[in-house]
Amino acid sequence: MEEETPLLEMRNIVKVYSDGTKALKGVDIKVYKGEILGLLGENGAGKTTLMKILFGMLKPTKGTILLNGKEVRFKSPADALANGIGMVHQHFTLVEVFNALENIILRMEGHGLLSKIDVDNARKKLQKLMDDLNFQVPLDVPVENLPVGVQQRIEILKMLYRDVDILILDEPTAVLTPIEVKELFDVLKKLKSQGKTIIFISHKLNEVMEITDRVTVIRRGEVIGTVKTPEATPQLLARMMVGRDVVLRIEKPPKEPGEVILHVEDLWVKGDRGEEAVRGVSFDVRAGEIFGIAGVEGNGQSELIEAITGLRRVEKGKVKVNNVEITGKKPKELYEMGIAHIPEDRTHMGLILDMTVMENAILGMQWRKEFSRAGLMDWKSVERHTKHLIEEFDITAPGVRSPVKSLSGGNQQKLIVAREVSKKPELIIASQPTRGVDVASTEYIRNYLVRLRNENKAVLLVSADLDEVLQLSDRMAIMYEGQFMGVVKPDEVTEEQIGLMMGGVKA
Amino acid sequence: MNETMIVGLLLGSLAAMVPIVLTSVGATISERAGVVNIGYEGILMLSAFFGTIFAEMAHNGWVGLLGGALTGLALGVVHGVITVYLKGDHVIPGIGLNLIGYGGVAFGILAYWGTAGQHQVPSYAQISPLWMDAFGNSLSPMVPITFFIALLAWWMLFKTPLGLRIRSVGENPEAADALGINVELYRFTAVLIASALSGVAGAYLSVDWLGTVTKTIAAGRGFIALANMVFSGWNPLMALVGGFIFGFFDNLAIYIQNNPWLAGAIPWQFIATLPYVVTLIVVAGIIGRARPPKWDGIPYKRE
Repeated sequence: MEEETPLLEMRNIVKVYSDGTKALKGVDIKVYKGEILGLLGENGAGKTTLMKILFGMLKPTKGTILLNGKEVRFKSPADALANGIGMVHQHFTLVEVFNALENIILRMEGHGLLSKIDVDNARKKLQKLMDDLNFQVPLDVPVENLPVGVQQRIEILKMLYRDVDILILDEPTAVLTPIEVKELFDVLKKLKSQGKTIIFISHKLNEVMEITDRVTVIRRGEVIGTVKTPEATPQLLARMMVGRDVVLRIEKPPKEPGEVILHVEDLWVKGDRGEEAVRGVSFDVRAGEIFGIAGVEGNGQSELIEAITGLRRVEKGKVKVNNVEITGKKPKELYEMGIAHIPEDRTHMGLILDMTVMENAILGMQWRKEFSRAGLMDWKSVERHTKHLIEEFDITAPGVRSPVKSLSGGNQQKLIVAREVSKKPELIIASQPTRGVDVASTEYIRNYLVRLRNENKAVLLVSADLDEVLQLSDRMAIMYEGQFMGVVKPDEVTEEQIGLMMGGVKA
Repeated sequence: MNETMIVGLLLGSLAAMVPIVLTSVGATISERAGVVNIGYEGILMLSAFFGTIFAEMAHNGWVGLLGGALTGLALGVVHGVITVYLKGDHVIPGIGLNLIGYGGVAFGILAYWGTAGQHQVPSYAQISPLWMDAFGNSLSPMVPITFFIALLAWWMLFKTPLGLRIRSVGENPEAADALGINVELYRFTAVLIASALSGVAGAYLSVDWLGTVTKTIAAGRGFIALANMVFSGWNPLMALVGGFIFGFFDNLAIYIQNNPWLAGAIPWQFIATLPYVVTLIVVAGIIGRARPPKWDGIPYKRE
């Protein structure tokens, strides 16, 4: 198989984003006709970027794409589609109020722009496609009223209706229930038997092992290697996916944790689409302890944190802080109980970008006596407070009256940490605290979290950055599909074991 | 109330619904594609003015309607370029159109005809009615044409590829873009259709229905049309229903004001609010909860 010309080849693909981030550092992949190629890697490894380049959504900084041995350039997804390449995105691109038929035939309606759409003909063609694949979707219901699994089939049909030969699926199982995953795999096998070529992007080891013919592993924008699936083991793939060098060193003296501050028991939370995002999670975080939660994003971590911080409804279970039940309490009440929250998305949840550094520095505390009197803000006091934070946390800001968006990402994040810590909390919930933050600020923030732990605070850390969790945590859990795959001590676990758990294999 | 009066009220309602329906239908097409324009009032004003000039020069009312359409089209190009291609705000250019309309027409009447605030359109420049009775009740050819246009717009939006694409760029331009639909082109096209229809409606005011150009000729109809569009749930056929209700109560209010014995019993201000109240109840009752296109009024930029 290696000898024949690949159906598709991407050579030396480099992608540097306008902010200087190097997403891809010279990636080569080959795809052969009729195979299912797995593209395995962690968050931010560059899988999706690579595929968006292939689908014409992003322009590569460097590199060539060869289709059947000939160089091609795609300026838009329409070009890629015209060349027989289709993609099903992780977040679907369906017109929510249209039914399946309308979504699928869009821009393939046939005849003139002003003639009547031949619905019967389209229906017949779609019926045949569905019969061949052995599944049905309702064609006349607005897609927003259909379950995610069905919407995904509509996306697949949309691509097949355009006669694509190569189908890219970006984390197709992320939103599916186990039964839906099985059904999807049946469809993929059918497609393969029809001669279609499939690129399957995933971080889930078992799924890659089950459905693919070959696996290319990508880590930090580079191809680590390609193996034939029958010759691979989950252990091998896990090592390829996770193995890395540690960049930063954090000083962390040993410490005996104190009493339980946060107690979570059998917590169930629903996601935005009504799916079970968190399924029966239990854990304790003690004073003087950092409890880390690792795992690939989208496995329920966000929903878990939102539930604990009062931003999302708890379906079932208990959350107690200092032995007081907090489910159903409002964020402000939680803050008064000594809980601080560094949210995962600083630009949307952490800061108000157009407001000043000063205003942002007291967000959530504006009603406190020290900052307002008789309903009027005491800006002098706010300014003093802000200047104090800037000094203590070494935040580089043009001034306290500059809009916060003029600060760099790292300084914005430091401002959030400073603000949350200034609330003098007993429990700090830090979600992706160093995402998109420069190295120096990252080191500062990580060391600060350790300092809080040393000061006998309880810290709950959620991060998609495995290094971070490994370095900082006293104990850590690995979350997969809404459950903890295991709770371990970072120094008593191998990378391979963690990789396996992140990929859904219980320790 | 005798038979003639009922016929008069009915015909009056039909005449009054024409500009509202044409503008509502246009606005519906534009918003289905995701472009908001609150400048229809201005377009109505300016095309009533320029339409009359066209009609007087050609000695033909139909040429006046054509002139109105061209005026609307030109203003639509301005709005479309700003909102669709330059990704500007959708509300501000509309405010601009309205201000130009209010000021431009008041000035234009004085500058062009030399009369202040009002100009009578000569009969040779007016569109002659299809039918007229001895009491001066008449039926304009624009009435059936308006019904036809509303029907055509509905058919276009919901039965043709053009309509499917227009609706897709208003609901989810990302999805449309991913399939190779030129989002800007379809949005721009929809804006042009809308402003041309509104331009015809404006010229209809002067060269047909009212037979006069005044500095307040649109009298809020551009805004009423927008309200009607919302009440109609962005559906051209419902806009026809809503437009008729507006027209009927608009006429009823005038009728009551002109009959002192009725005007004494019912304050005319109360009647004047009736078109809004009744349209709201009827149309909302028929179509139920309607929601605007998801990307209505939001500029689309590719990542």
